[in-house]
Amino acid sequence: MVTNFARLKKWENELDICIRCGYCYENCHLVKLSGWESNSPRGKLSLLYGMLSGSVKPSKYITEKLYECFYCKNCSKNCSAKVSVTDIFSDARADLAEMGFSGEGVTAEVDKDFCSTCGICVSVCKAEAIKIDREKKEIILDKIKCQGCGSCISACPSGIIKQKHGYDITSDELSAKIKNIVKDDKKKVVVFCCNWQLHPGLRLSQLAVSVKNGLPYGIIINVCAGRLCPEQILEAFDHGAWGVMIASCPFEECEHDGNYKAKARVHMMKQLLQQLSINPKRLTIDYFSSTEGAKFKKAADSFSDEIMALGAMK
Amino acid sequence: MKVDLDKLTKIVGPENIISDVADLYIYGTDASVHESLASAVIAPKTIEQIQAIVRYANAELIPIIARGAGSGMSGQAVPIDGGIILDLKAMNRILEIRPADMLCRVESGVVDDDLNRALQPYGLFYPPAPASSRVATIGGEIANNASGIRSVKYGATRDSVLGMKVVLANGDLVTLGSNTRVEASGYQLDRLMVGSEGTLGIIVEATMLLRPIPKLRCLGRVSFNKLHEAGETITEIISSGRQPSMIELMDNIAITAVNTTLDMGLPDVEAIIMFEADGEVKEAVDYEIEQMKKICEKHNGFDIQASYDAKTRTKLFAGRKKLFAALSRYKEGLACTSLADDMAVPYSKMANLAEKIHEIADRNNVVMTAYGHCGSGCMHTKILMDPTKKKSWEDAKHAVAEVYDYVRSVGGTTSAEHGIGLSKAPSWKKEKNDSIEMVKAIKKALDPNNILNPHKVQDAPNDWVTATKLRYTAR
Repeated sequence: MVTNFARLKKWENELDICIRCGYCYENCHLVKLSGWESNSPRGKLSLLYGMLSGSVKPSKYITEKLYECFYCKNCSKNCSAKVSVTDIFSDARADLAEMGFSGEGVTAEVDKDFCSTCGICVSVCKAEAIKIDREKKEIILDKIKCQGCGSCISACPSGIIKQKHGYDITSDELSAKIKNIVKDDKKKVVVFCCNWQLHPGLRLSQLAVSVKNGLPYGIIINVCAGRLCPEQILEAFDHGAWGVMIASCPFEECEHDGNYKAKARVHMMKQLLQQLSINPKRLTIDYFSSTEGAKFKKAADSFSDEIMALGAMK
Repeated sequence: MKVDLDKLTKIVGPENIISDVADLYIYGTDASVHESLASAVIAPKTIEQIQAIVRYANAELIPIIARGAGSGMSGQAVPIDGGIILDLKAMNRILEIRPADMLCRVESGVVDDDLNRALQPYGLFYPPAPASSRVATIGGEIANNASGIRSVKYGATRDSVLGMKVVLANGDLVTLGSNTRVEASGYQLDRLMVGSEGTLGIIVEATMLLRPIPKLRCLGRVSFNKLHEAGETITEIISSGRQPSMIELMDNIAITAVNTTLDMGLPDVEAIIMFEADGEVKEAVDYEIEQMKKICEKHNGFDIQASYDAKTRTKLFAGRKKLFAALSRYKEGLACTSLADDMAVPYSKMANLAEKIHEIADRNNVVMTAYGHCGSGCMHTKILMDPTKKKSWEDAKHAVAEVYDYVRSVGGTTSAEHGIGLSKAPSWKKEKNDSIEMVKAIKKALDPNNILNPHKVQDAPNDWVTATKLRYTAR
């Protein structure tokens, strides 16, 4: 096979700079969920190094790994060696695409048969991965640029943009989790949490039942607040939740501007809840930086207390 | 060697085994300079699964390498002969926290920082605190006998292990140690496992001693214009009977690295020391800090700051925890390699060692830094070099040998806290020259087929450069 890593080659020294300490595990949703090191930023960088040095041949499998990244950039931002992890991934994706290796991973997919080309998805995509071909009247989604944030999915009025694989954050997977927390775990409050806070629910280890404290809320990691659809919030209430909290990252910290989108959505949802005779206080959004695990816990505890005081919905 | 993937899949289920060459490549590396392809990677969920895998490997003479976070710096988890990697991160349950007994019981894949977060509501902590605590697993820390910033007061992992469950090479499960603080005569088999780097058994569960979180912590930082004086200060703090809960050294190279990479604003001096005292009574902590300050001043330390405030302490300590990676950005074209990365010397030799490291680096055309948990006698360095040049590796090889020759000549040890694995094995074997046969006899008795992390530590190759393929490619 003829390999041509024109873009990746320029990162050769950066790949030497990565000391492979593995500290990026702590910040990666994919590692926490799957446990495999091949899903970690360090693992993927090692693979790219291996391809450049000739130790590993390019493959569909490796390509797919590169498309399994939400570009939250928690790894890059917390890397003490300041390695531009996701920029390297993007260049590797482009090189591999030219070699004939395409990937899907967590990227979005538009069902063109039902698309009205309204263009809302274009305006919400911060990665500029979506364009409209006016002549063909169709949406063009650039998989290399797509960062899997899901903002287009929650914004699409026709509901025809989907992610096939989502590491627990496809619409179907989120729905199942909401039901599980409210119906099976009997939690009264659902907390949707982006990948930015180092909260107990986001850790690598698990507490045994015997040492778990009886928190009234259950946490769902939805990676980016921007991907949360109005119907998922309503779904939580419909299953019997007394309150819903959205924990997002602060305004200047989101790679996808998901926090702005979530803020607007919560504003709209509060009005809708009012019309449905549901106290809007039962829905809240708050913002936490990656080092504010304690602040997050305090806010979630406080919101739960307020909701418990409000009691069940009548 | 042929691994029967179907058989292993039946044991653990298809979702817990991977064997694509990409996965095997990734799991063939860690934070060291070594790489070697694994044959299969398995993430067992239960002790029974581990027993079944080990029985299979023992019958088929297939190497089996236990792996935690893969943050080891000496190639401890690199599969030098291929074989099955047991990724134990999925064994991640904190099973019990028993405040009245001051202990906890955990599976081996529990992450150090996670354990400490879980312990905090009980007012307890697990003290070894290696710099990698955010990802390092308890099993990995035990297998490595990790230590860290607070080991000067609370000891290394070995001092916090009460007992453990271990799967032996024949697949038997044994319970070692006890649930008590003391256990007198009889072979201390749990302690034998600590630091054995997966060569004697697979640690699957551990019972660890906990300590109360001190009410007060006061952290100080002092600058020095001469590295030697910083070293002498450390020696005197310890030998004068002070009880610091931390003493950390950073030389000018380490300071430059964190200032350049992380914009930390550390003072531009030849060395800084960070020192800490903790306790329940303010007068007692004040006394310790004041005494340490006086020793610093006696050795020309200046710009001494100290604070009880958590935010100020974090600021004063800034940079140290992220130093390892930051060293990679010390200078354009140089990468930070984990070579000659750790050692310990008697306290009185600390100042000489720090200077010796710089002298050896200059002589061999590489950059080396002196930093570490010097309060426990531990010194770290790294070799900063252009890894793309063959000459750099030759220079590094000489520098590593010279550093460890010096360490052994003053009665120090090759392995302070980063393990032995492959890259430190040549020096360690020289150091343990008259007891190496005893070590080999123990290995033979517990692992007669040599399947558990073979060709490491006492059985590792004598030349680390050719022991495996190196992760850096000379271009």
